[in-house]
Amino acid sequence: MTRGIWDRETVALLLLAAALPLAATWLLSTGMTGALRLVFVLVAAGLWHVAFMLARAQPPSFAGALTALAIALLAPVDLGPIPMLLGISFGVVAGELAFGGWGRNVVNPATLAIAFLGFGFPAAPWPVLPIQLGWSVIAVVAIGTFAGVIAWRVVAGAGAAIAVGWYSLGLGMPVATAAAVVLVLLVCDPVTSASTNLGRWLYGLLYGALVLLFALGWKGAVPVQVAVSAALLASLAAPLLDEIAIRLWLARRKRLG
Amino acid sequence: MALLDRGQTEPTDTLKSASAEIQTRITDQCALFSQPQDDFRVETLVAQGARVRQGAPVLRSRRQPELTLVAPVAGEVAAIEFGPGRRLVHILFFHLPDAGRHAHDVAAARGGDDAPATRALLLSAGMWTRLRSRPFGRVPAPAEQPSAIFVMALDTRLDAPPPTLALAGREEDFLRGLRALARLTAGPLVVCHDGSAIPAQIAGLGENVRFHRIAPVHPKGLAGLQIAALHPAEAGRPVWDVHAEDVADFGALLATGLVPETRLVSVSGLALRENRLMRCQPGADLRALCFDIVKPGPHRLLTGLHDGVEARWLGPWARQVVAVKGATAPPRRHWFSAALRSAGRPLPIIPTAALDEAFGGLLPSTALMRALAANDAETAARFGALSLIEEDLALADYLTAARPRFAIMLRAMLDRVAAEERA
Repeated sequence: MTRGIWDRETVALLLLAAALPLAATWLLSTGMTGALRLVFVLVAAGLWHVAFMLARAQPPSFAGALTALAIALLAPVDLGPIPMLLGISFGVVAGELAFGGWGRNVVNPATLAIAFLGFGFPAAPWPVLPIQLGWSVIAVVAIGTFAGVIAWRVVAGAGAAIAVGWYSLGLGMPVATAAAVVLVLLVCDPVTSASTNLGRWLYGLLYGALVLLFALGWKGAVPVQVAVSAALLASLAAPLLDEIAIRLWLARRKRLG
Repeated sequence: MALLDRGQTEPTDTLKSASAEIQTRITDQCALFSQPQDDFRVETLVAQGARVRQGAPVLRSRRQPELTLVAPVAGEVAAIEFGPGRRLVHILFFHLPDAGRHAHDVAAARGGDDAPATRALLLSAGMWTRLRSRPFGRVPAPAEQPSAIFVMALDTRLDAPPPTLALAGREEDFLRGLRALARLTAGPLVVCHDGSAIPAQIAGLGENVRFHRIAPVHPKGLAGLQIAALHPAEAGRPVWDVHAEDVADFGALLATGLVPETRLVSVSGLALRENRLMRCQPGADLRALCFDIVKPGPHRLLTGLHDGVEARWLGPWARQVVAVKGATAPPRRHWFSAALRSAGRPLPIIPTAALDEAFGGLLPSTALMRALAANDAETAARFGALSLIEEDLALADYLTAARPRFAIMLRAMLDRVAAEERA
């Protein structure tokens, strides 16, 4: 009869709390420009949340703020307000709200918006992430894992793959930083990542492997572009990885009769 | 899942200290009852006002005439109430200590060696309702052949009475009950334990008795999760589960012919000044168990913490009485927030560590919850939903604050599957 607190909004708030070190580090390094950009994305995404609340009775979610942070941090810079609005609207509406809001979406809305902007406006430069952002990711992972909202298996899988690249394939610091930031902001979103234990390992490994592949084999790609593309492809494969894990689990159960 | 207090599965200190001296309290009133959805049609074997001995048959099922319910105390039949179609609502007893105890004839069962006679004895002595059959979580049909029996010699629910205490000094009865139960199934009899409640001398129990040690961490001590993990129940492949104390009661019945009088229950909750363990009769009046330790102010009595329902009497499977502060009127909501709250049911569930912990890592939690929420009975059954009942999802409900509750969605799905099976 008693009720717990782990509903959707608690999880969203804890994810936001976990992302605070990253957000603070980023704001410290970008200053007013970054703050204005973040406010712009927040307002644009928030308007869509309000629109869907009024039109569809869909409660808005704090996860929208996390989406806005990811877009502000990772989307191409120097785009101008209209393309940004287009990209944010596409990501938030087609990626999340049209499916019924956070918790029912198939891909992460921020991933979708950033990929849309990146590939739709190829002339716009991708952001260069300061190195300290990569270190703040350690705090994000610590808080998120402690609170149980970030799956440590995904982080461990991705970390293993990237560590292999770092030590044996000569992966650079910029790529590692971008991969780490994208890992916590986009890949570890609990809704669109794999949800079985084996699936989480595979999902993290797949993301790390895609980062390695793109970083080493994609001529002319910049670090954030590499990481976002890997996140998009990995999140599309997440249901398949879950299916593999569940098939294996069911096959092991066969002998139970 | 660090924010989930792992210490919760340990009995609280007050319960531990209370275990030193467990008082026995036979409440003045007690009752046998059934819910309308149980569809339990009965004929009475005693008249209102009659004196009955403890353990004497008082009700017989109309559909299954072998199944009898017995008086939980020595006393007087105070009231019998029926719903439509002579469905039992409740039969109420007043306790009269000098009314004596009824002895059942146990010669035919030969201490549990004769399986059909044991079955008949459990049915006629009112002990059959202590068993629970899955799928669907009902009292098993009298002729049902279980494909496995799970004996739960641990209870990991917060503040639940430790079976170790219930079994202390009753090892002989427990072993005799296990031997008798093992003959009721052709499959395995699995004794789930945490290493503390098992008698030292367990030889000669029969080939199909297995001991399965479980870390005493909630929810791993729930019968449903263990059944789903070890021996999944399906339609036509029923699995029974029974509490270890009830097995000891079976053993005592087989030895003496007397139905044991009491059961160990815990009384706890935020509306009480202290928590306590006590022995009381089945069907005891919950109010009489805690009237002297309840804090001032309104409260509600539940039969379980996360899985509890509001009740007046102790049910056949209940061992926990929880008093919660409460019964205030729900806050009045503005129509706007009410619309937002009710538009998107069932609410989405975010797969977090909390959800994984709610199934002890034994089942694919997210896939199972999504199948339940989507009302996909086939997929949910593949993930073990037919082995589960409401109490197994209570922790998931508690942690995720799911609306509607998973337990309700599971019950609706089980009822539908059961209706399809009958058709």
